[in-house]
Amino acid sequence: MQVTIPKPQTPIADPPHAPVHTDTTAKWFILSAVSYFFIVGIIAILIAAKFVWPELLGTIPAFTYGRLRPLHVKGMLFGWLLACDMGLSCYLVPRLCGVKLYSEKLGVATAIIWNIIILGAVFSLLAGYNQGFEYGELATPLDLLVVVAWVMFGINIFGTVVTRRYPQMYVSLWYTMGTLLWTPFVFLTGNFGVMLTTGVNQANLNWMYVHNAVGLIFTPVGLALAYYFIPKNANTPLHSHKLSMIGFWSLAFVYVWTGAHHMIHGPISQWLQTISIAFSLMLIIPVWTVVYNFFATMKGQWHQLRDNVSLKFLMSGVVFYLLTCFQGPMQSLRSVNAITSKTDWVPGHAHMAVFGAFSFFAIAGCYYVVPRIFGIKLHSTTVANWSYWFMMSGGIGFFVTLWLGGFWQGWQWNNPSIPFIDTVVALKPIWTVRFFSGTLIFSGIVLFLYNILATAIGASGEARKVEATA
Amino acid sequence: MLKKLDLNASIFVVFALIFFFIGGLLTTVVPPLVDKSWGRPFENHDPAKGVTGKLVPYTEEQLRGRAIYVREGCWYCHTQQTRTLLSDTKRSGWRGVDSPISTPDEFVNDSPHMFGTKRTGPDLSRVGGKYDTQWHRTHFRNPRDLVPGSVMPPFPWIANNEADFTAMVSYIQTLGRAKNWRPDNDYEK
Repeated sequence: MQVTIPKPQTPIADPPHAPVHTDTTAKWFILSAVSYFFIVGIIAILIAAKFVWPELLGTIPAFTYGRLRPLHVKGMLFGWLLACDMGLSCYLVPRLCGVKLYSEKLGVATAIIWNIIILGAVFSLLAGYNQGFEYGELATPLDLLVVVAWVMFGINIFGTVVTRRYPQMYVSLWYTMGTLLWTPFVFLTGNFGVMLTTGVNQANLNWMYVHNAVGLIFTPVGLALAYYFIPKNANTPLHSHKLSMIGFWSLAFVYVWTGAHHMIHGPISQWLQTISIAFSLMLIIPVWTVVYNFFATMKGQWHQLRDNVSLKFLMSGVVFYLLTCFQGPMQSLRSVNAITSKTDWVPGHAHMAVFGAFSFFAIAGCYYVVPRIFGIKLHSTTVANWSYWFMMSGGIGFFVTLWLGGFWQGWQWNNPSIPFIDTVVALKPIWTVRFFSGTLIFSGIVLFLYNILATAIGASGEARKVEATA
Repeated sequence: MLKKLDLNASIFVVFALIFFFIGGLLTTVVPPLVDKSWGRPFENHDPAKGVTGKLVPYTEEQLRGRAIYVREGCWYCHTQQTRTLLSDTKRSGWRGVDSPISTPDEFVNDSPHMFGTKRTGPDLSRVGGKYDTQWHRTHFRNPRDLVPGSVMPPFPWIANNEADFTAMVSYIQTLGRAKNWRPDNDYEK
């Protein structure tokens, strides 16, 4: 069964007055997210440099590695990626529903609160206010603001879905709604549930949150974008509606079980480790159905990759998604885990997921959406192309060196006759390559930021010209 | 039924939450009810049953040190778990004696937990009693003075603040000590 978007399969009469989208919320979210991508990118470069030059800024408490690292992770995940995903959702949900966004005022208020959270995170983390939970570092008042902002965002999206004109909901809508429904429970577990517990029990809740922050927040909202932007960019119908259903419902069931795979061989019940391993392997089902669907959609359309930067980002993102989600189940196997766990393999794997796959989807979305919401052509396709090649080559350099380095490190650790410090010294060339790959990625980010801002500013310039002549 | 799921938002919401909550509850709420060792502090006085010892609560000073450990993000690079791998028991071992593996009952007093996820530096689950105070002072001031090739940042603001430094070291010396694993009690102070 084939579905073309945004036209629904069972169309009611076309609305007599097609809705005029103002997209103010999308603009707010996207422009601030892209700026944080750049700002937090500086932090990223800095912490990569610290592996090569450990004394760098070493005597200033606010710039020590242990304070910059959470800022890098939180800033990229929530300041850039989630904010960008939220902005893009506010673009595509109204279009898939055939109505205006439920409330632009509410949306802009959400974006303002989100910016307050991110700025609060920057200052509090540099000052050392760290709660000590991976992904859950932020102080409680900021956590509460996240909850408030999320409820406001949820009201806006569900408000739009409920008033929709097209009865059938396209896949992207399910994934967006799924994200909205699961995130509160995942977030509350990781930021408030942990406070009621200690030790292993707490670690188990912490890892449930960490794993599902990626699996039930960034994955579904990222796939919502890919499901929308791949057919849109290639101007072709989605391959299979039924396959997308299998992908969605297996994701909804399987993902949440796998948190304990972060503690394989560790001090947590063996049976719980085994459950997490079994479900980690089952993750192959939702991943491969989705990836097959995307590839099949592109059948006969691959030539479009040559000229379409958004498609380049999207399809590279799909390949990275496939790879990272193959690594995931494999890493959870006890035998492989004994080599890769706790090594530099792990950041290689994590960056391929949130940078290689989900950030690529979001970047593709920005390149597609920004010209449309500002009603002007993209500032420069050439610059966009360069941003792709910088991020792609930097990304591959980053991922591949860390995988090789991580495996090598793991093998060395498993030979206790090698002193630990020798395994650190051995990794130094790897960290040097990682730093230079990081500068390539950062160059791509700079070009991306410049292109998006130049488009937005160009649009306001055009608007002024029109006003002046009128 | 499948057809309804993408036509009716309410049915969709119900199923999405049910699917999520089956796994969600079974893997977070149920495990500590099944495995009681997660919440029972370690205590063993019978050498026949393995390593002896008793988990005692942290003192106020140790908790202050622990708060510094959390604040400076030590846990981003140091794990605190001797896993069920032979190489881990060797690496956490000391002077020819292998370390016992970490068990949940050793961590009942830990909040936030400091198990960690990445070993840029060595595991610290049994570091308590391995190095004396003078070693730690020099090491915090500049790790490379003692361990050439180390990439650990210097922490002069800990080494030069007597109260903070003492608290930090008193916390570090507790790590792994619930299990009295050294044969001759040869812990450094």
